[in-house]
Order: sequence, then C-alpha cells, then structure tokens
Amino acid sequence: MDEMIQVKNISKTFQVNKRAKGIPGMVANMFVPKFEKRHAVRDVSFSIERGEMVGFIGPNGAGKSTTIKMLSGILYPDCGEITVNGYVPYKQRKSYVGSIGVVFGQKSQLQWDLPVIDSFELLKAIYRVPDQVYRTNLDRYTEMLEMKGFLHQPVRQLSLGQRMRADIVAALLHSPQIVFFDEPTIGVDVVGKEKIREFIRELNVRDKVTMIFTTHDMQDIEKTCHRLIIIDNGEKVYDGSLAKVREVYGTTRQLEVEFGEDCEIAPIENVEICSAEKENPRKKKFIFENKKVQIQELMSFLLTNYNVRDLYISETEIENIIRKIYTLGV
Amino acid sequence: MWKPYLAFAKKSFLGRSAYRFEHWMGIFDTCLQIFIFWGIYKSLYGGRTQVDGITLSAVTTNFVLSMGLGAAFSVNENFLPSKIRDGSIANELLRPVSFQGRMLAEDLGNATFDLLFRFVPALLIAVLTIGIQAPAGGEMFLYFTISAALGYGVLWTIGFVTQMAAFWLINIWSLRTIKNVFVRLLSGSMLPLWFMPDWMSGMIHYTPFSSIYFTPVQIYLGQLSNGEIVGKCAIQAAWIGGLYLFGILLWQRGKRKLVVQGG
Repeated sequence: MDEMIQVKNISKTFQVNKRAKGIPGMVANMFVPKFEKRHAVRDVSFSIERGEMVGFIGPNGAGKSTTIKMLSGILYPDCGEITVNGYVPYKQRKSYVGSIGVVFGQKSQLQWDLPVIDSFELLKAIYRVPDQVYRTNLDRYTEMLEMKGFLHQPVRQLSLGQRMRADIVAALLHSPQIVFFDEPTIGVDVVGKEKIREFIRELNVRDKVTMIFTTHDMQDIEKTCHRLIIIDNGEKVYDGSLAKVREVYGTTRQLEVEFGEDCEIAPIENVEICSAEKENPRKKKFIFENKKVQIQELMSFLLTNYNVRDLYISETEIENIIRKIYTLGV
Repeated sequence: MWKPYLAFAKKSFLGRSAYRFEHWMGIFDTCLQIFIFWGIYKSLYGGRTQVDGITLSAVTTNFVLSMGLGAAFSVNENFLPSKIRDGSIANELLRPVSFQGRMLAEDLGNATFDLLFRFVPALLIAVLTIGIQAPAGGEMFLYFTISAALGYGVLWTIGFVTQMAAFWLINIWSLRTIKNVFVRLLSGSMLPLWFMPDWMSGMIHYTPFSSIYFTPVQIYLGQLSNGEIVGKCAIQAAWIGGLYLFGILLWQRGKRKLVVQGG
C-alpha cells in the first residue's frame, strides 16, 4: 500500500503572553511582557495510507487542530517533516492546497452576506473547477446532505447544522483526494451529527478519499473510523484500531448522581468516585467496569443508602479513555 | 491562470456598490476636502495669482488631482490584520492562489469602482465649480495616467509592507495611522512640495511618498522634460519593486510565526 500522509517527529510551540491579574498586571505587562512557551504538539509521528480514514481524538487543547493546520500547510512545524501526496505542505502551499479539502468546524469559509450558492461559485473560480465536475459534485453533495432547501439563502440566516453541511460541500467541490475534517460536528444536534457522519463514511467508502477526522466526541469515531489516533497534551498516546480501544473502554460505564444533601460516599469496591462538578459537591461520578460491577446493584445500593435526587448513565468521555490508556496501556 | 484573481476583483467591485449611501457620501467627502482646501489656499494667496512663482491654479490643480486620485486609490490595509485577528487567515491560506495576488486583485476591484464612480464625478464637480488647469498636451496626459498607475503601485506596496507587521503585532491600527500621516503630509497632496524648503523637499524625494501623487501631477502640469519623466517613472517602478520584495520577505518570515487565533 502506498502512503499518502507521512508525519515524522513534528513539534510546534507557541509563545503565550503570561499576564498577571487586573490593572497592576496589565501595567506590568505593558513594560515587561512575560512569555511562556506552550507545547501544542510534541514529537508526533504517524503515517496514513491512501483511502484510509483515521479518527483523531483528544480533549480540547490536545493539539488536534494544530496538527491539522500543519498538515494543511497553514502552520510551519518547528521541527520534523511532513509529506502529503508527495508535497511538503508548508513549503509548497499554493500547489498543494488545490488537492486537499479542509473543513474547520469553528471557522466557516463561506461568505457571510452572500447566498450559499454564490460562495460555491467563487470557490469554483478559485479552484478552477471545470463546469462539468462542478455540476456533478454540487448536485450529488446537495442531494446527499439534503441542502436543496437553503442553497439560495444567505449564510447568516442558516442554522449551525445547515452552515456546517454547506461548509462541508464547499471543501469538496474541487474533488480533493485528501480531506481533513476538524471538528465537523461541533455544536451540531444529534440528527445533524448523524447526517454528517453518514456522509463522511460514504465519501470514504465510495470515493476512496483519504481522511482525517478530528473530534472530541467518541461517538463520531465509533460510527466512522476503523483506525484511531489519540493525542493528549500534544503527544500521541495511542495509534491503532478502534476495536482494541473498545475492548478496554467498551466495558466502562459512568453513572452520574446528584444527591439531595451533602454526604460522604464510603468507598465502593471496583468503583471510582469523583466529583462531577467543581461548584456542586452533591454531584458525583461513579466510573466502573460493567464486568466487575452490576449496574443495578450499584444503583440500588446508592438509592437505599443515600438521598439520591437524580441519576443517569452517561457516555464514556474521551478523558476516561486516555486515563485508562495511561494507567493500563493498550 | 488569472481567472481566480479576476473573480476576486469582480467580487470586490460588485461588493463596493452594495452600500449606496456610503457611495454618495464618498463623493461628497472628496468634494468637501477639495472645497476646504480651495478655501484655504484662496485666502492664503489673498488675491495674488502667484506666490514664489507658484500660481494658484497650479496649486489648485495639484490638490484636486491628488485628492481625487486619493479617493480612487483604495487599499484595504485591514485585509491581513483582520484575518489574523479573527483567525480566518487559516481559510485564506487554504486557497490555491497567491495571497498577495488576491490582495491586489481585491484592491484593484475596489479601485476600479472608485475610479469610475468617485474620482470621475468628484473631478467633474471640481472642474465645473473651481476649475483646474488643462493637461500640458495629450502626450503629457498619457504619461500622467501611466505615472498615476505607478503611483497607485507605490501606495499599494507601502500598505502591503505595513500590513505584514500584523504577523508580529496583531493590531497595527496605530502603525497605519502614522503611515497615513506620512502619506498625507509628504506626498504633497495637502501641501505641494514646491512650498517646502529645499532641504526638506530634497529629503522627501528620497522617500517613496512623493512618487504617489506628486510625480503624476508634475507630469500633468508639464513641469518635467521627457527625460525627467522617464527618470521619475523609473524611480516609481524602483520603489514598487523594492517595497514589494521587502513585503515578500516579511511575508515569508511572518508565515512561520503565524498563530491562528481562536481554536
């Protein structure tokens, strides 16, 4: 198999202005600014094959977006090497970016005041997309993402889910071979998320588009990717199949409980107890293995021994998976 | 090859016409400036037709032309700074086009619009009310248009270099303001360089500012010989080349320093 994306030992640091609180801090900062180095990405390496779809997952601030920006030629890595489809992104930006598509969930590339279709027309000109290709892509994608209804509406009047779908189409009009999705489901409701995931999956399977998909929603990955790269604190902590990760975290359950009064919970065997909210000591999280602890037993134990106001079973958070990887290893 | 750039130019040309009130006010603003300066110079001359051998009509022609051109010479100096500030620079860099080419294309789109719909009406009003000197012959008028285009190039490259500072400073509002003061004062649009003491006008000729408006106006008035015209235009071209290269150097360095703000 040929390798589409190769990343070797890249690092990126940012200088962050460190400023003390309030007016004295502001004045001090005017004359003697203090800078601190923050490592956004540390010595990350991986390679991705043609047609592969890889999930890039990690908590906020882990370095996912920074990596994507380096892969798309926007940011220069401080050290290390990147090759994508034979190009060095940050050195050959102009010729390289024509072959990729990028969706930034947080930054729309559409013209705010213009109807969606006008932005598409502009992109067609910028990417020099032939008429025939443009028509086929536009028809196909608007059909798949059910966009007919708002194609002629100004972007500022779209809902977040609609805008996100429009942004996805905008990144694909020039039929890129590689697509980076940077949090394409952020802020989108469950139905919208599902549509986006389905579309992405289809794009990968049918068109063999190579993809990286960043998110902090484990559900996104479960429904789309086979391979998973987990990064935390700028470092790669896991790179391998989703199935393997699932073996470990798939059995983990999390129960969130709100108590009616302040109470000390006595330790329970095989259950990790931590507070769910900093301000509210009455909310607690119970994390456990469903092989070792029966959920109904735990629930009835809590209900009989404590004053429980509310409780629910929540999804496993990416933070829990990462913690498990650190403690157990995969 | 140039198709995307044409699309950018067209977009900004059309966008310019979206705000009608703004457009009328733009013409009004240019006329107002011209009339104010007309009033000032008329009272400064106090009934005389010339001071130090400089005629009032030459002075009038100077500020009408340079302020008129000033209205048409639009450079969006907030382009890069605003994109760096809100992080949309990330999207811009994803386009398979040259960034500076795109900047120029959008500015030219705006400038073409302003030339047609601001410079021409304002000039007509000024000619009909105040009256300016006719160009010193058709040939000189042709050289004037060439030199004016080069003047725009000089103004644009100055702006280009100024914008690049945004990579390091993010907010360059004061830098731009200072630059604009220099442009206004040293380009001779408010105070013709004829009135400056020799040592000062000598110094100004070593800056790019006199190349913006003053050179075309001098050609228009027929104050330069053919040889001098070639020389002055060469100086204009040299400034464009030099400043552009400097701007590109800053761009190459700045890109490495780029921080995409806001996630």
